Amino acid sequence: MTAKKRRSNGRRTREAYGFILPGVLYMLVVVGYPIVYNFILSFKDTSVRNLATGTSKFIGFQNYIELFHNPTFILVLKNTFVFTIGSLIFQFTIGYLLALFFYKKFTLSGPIRGLMLIPYMMPMAVTGLLGQNLFLNSGLINNLLSKVGIAGPAWLTSTSTAMIAVVIMNCWVGIPFNMLLLISGMSNISEDVYEASAIDGAGRMQQFWKITMPLMKDSILAVLMLGFIYTFRAFDLMFIMTAGGPLNSTDVLGTYSYMLSFTQYQFSKGSAVAIVLFLCLLLIGILYLLLLRKDDKEEEA
Amino acid sequence: MNQEPDRIKSLPASEKRRHSREWHRNLRLSVIAVIIAVVFLFPIYWMLQLSFKSDMETFGKVLTYFPHEFTIDPWMANLGDKDFIASLRNSFLNGLFTMILTMLFGIPAAYGMGRYKVRGYQAFLLIFLVAQMLPASLMLTPMYLTFSKMHLLGTYAAPPIAIAAGAVPFAVVTLRPYFKSVPVTLDEAARIDGCNALQAFFLVMIPAVKTGIITIVTISFLNGWNDLMYSMTFNVKPEMRPLTANIHKFQSKYGTKWNCIMAYGAILVLPVIFMFIFLQKYIVGGMTAGAVKE
Repeated sequence: MTAKKRRSNGRRTREAYGFILPGVLYMLVVVGYPIVYNFILSFKDTSVRNLATGTSKFIGFQNYIELFHNPTFILVLKNTFVFTIGSLIFQFTIGYLLALFFYKKFTLSGPIRGLMLIPYMMPMAVTGLLGQNLFLNSGLINNLLSKVGIAGPAWLTSTSTAMIAVVIMNCWVGIPFNMLLLISGMSNISEDVYEASAIDGAGRMQQFWKITMPLMKDSILAVLMLGFIYTFRAFDLMFIMTAGGPLNSTDVLGTYSYMLSFTQYQFSKGSAVAIVLFLCLLLIGILYLLLLRKDDKEEEA
Repeated sequence: MNQEPDRIKSLPASEKRRHSREWHRNLRLSVIAVIIAVVFLFPIYWMLQLSFKSDMETFGKVLTYFPHEFTIDPWMANLGDKDFIASLRNSFLNGLFTMILTMLFGIPAAYGMGRYKVRGYQAFLLIFLVAQMLPASLMLTPMYLTFSKMHLLGTYAAPPIAIAAGAVPFAVVTLRPYFKSVPVTLDEAARIDGCNALQAFFLVMIPAVKTGIITIVTISFLNGWNDLMYSMTFNVKPEMRPLTANIHKFQSKYGTKWNCIMAYGAILVLPVIFMFIFLQKYIVGGMTAGAVKE
């Protein structure tokens, strides 16, 4: 390597770090530091009482032990999974069907696809507000139900139905998101594969199961994992629509952690709940990577 | 897809039949698409129609599907309220500051990651990918305690700093492929013409990835505009809070006047609708670019 080239390489490296490092540092300060701080907090007994005096001390796993002995926390944990899995099943299925339709090329395909993203992009807080109105006892949903002879329940004031209403509102947001990502997965499959299989005599159903599904596997896995992560951390929707009620029936880890930290000012307890939330997401992330890796191995074999 | 009519005339009969079949298929699919959109977007219509109803009709025994006497009073009830206007301004500032932070930190990093291979590249990429997916709940309590020590609580800066923690990595992940796809010859030519790294970045690269930049600017603004959790936690005073964080306050003020509440919600959704009408061709493509290709 000549001296000149080395000098130019050194300059290139300096330039590269000049562009990249501010962003990386920002991440370390506003994301990295809080995460570390959160872990430490969750092993202490910091609350509003000892915050000013700075006399909080380490208490080991005490916060976690108390949480898992607390029936409310167990309910909240269960709610979070019910909410997430319930939302995923419906938003994925409906999103997939819509993707199959809007993947087709026709004049209005693009513009309407775009319009359907509005529920996904609008403030989740407004979605919650709208949900409150739609599920009123004399609201739109019960009005429509009464037209087909069904007496609708008191959705948001009954512990057995509030979760259903929240899941429905969340699906309304999740469907366009799933649809959009699945369409872009479908666009990556070459038309030639379908044409070749049609010549070989494959029917529509055969094409769907033998071509679309296997080739879509990566996109489907990615959509499900992203969907899980975005749904599991829910907060805004419940906070506005039901405030976690009635009787914690729509309380999820996000709202419960907030309540512990900022209604009861038990910061360490709130942090511990956030850590549980984080660990669940981490597990899903690892599971996703394992599934991807298994695929690669199968392909190599 | 648009065929010129005189060209069709000159085609043989079998071709004409094909065109007519095409045209029918297009019409049939478009009609189905409109029906799907009407059903799916009905809740948005519901919010809008409620926001134009009079108090009498809102409290009426019979549920009506459109305003029988159209009025803009619910909108005026909000827009004439100085608390509402203050919240509206705060929402705008939240969006603006988040956008500025994202442009300042996200766009250069996306460029650096798309153009240069440096030591630590894989680690940096991992940081941005993971940071984009982290739950806000995880940062909320520690940030609150830190901001409290730094006397940042109750300032307009606190929420955007936190919101950008999600918006910056999204920008990097989304924009990186855009920068990567620009031919290297383009900025090399600029460098030979005497541009330094910054000039090449601003004068050549940014215009070359305009589509991606528009996506990021829009979405980072919406991130700030839509935020609830950080804004209500860091700003305890209602007059400092954006519209999202004051929903419960206005709800208790309006009681069951759903026409006023829905006008409040509609005003919050308006920027989203406008952005989609004017920028949708940029945003729809841009959003999928980052989400799937990694």
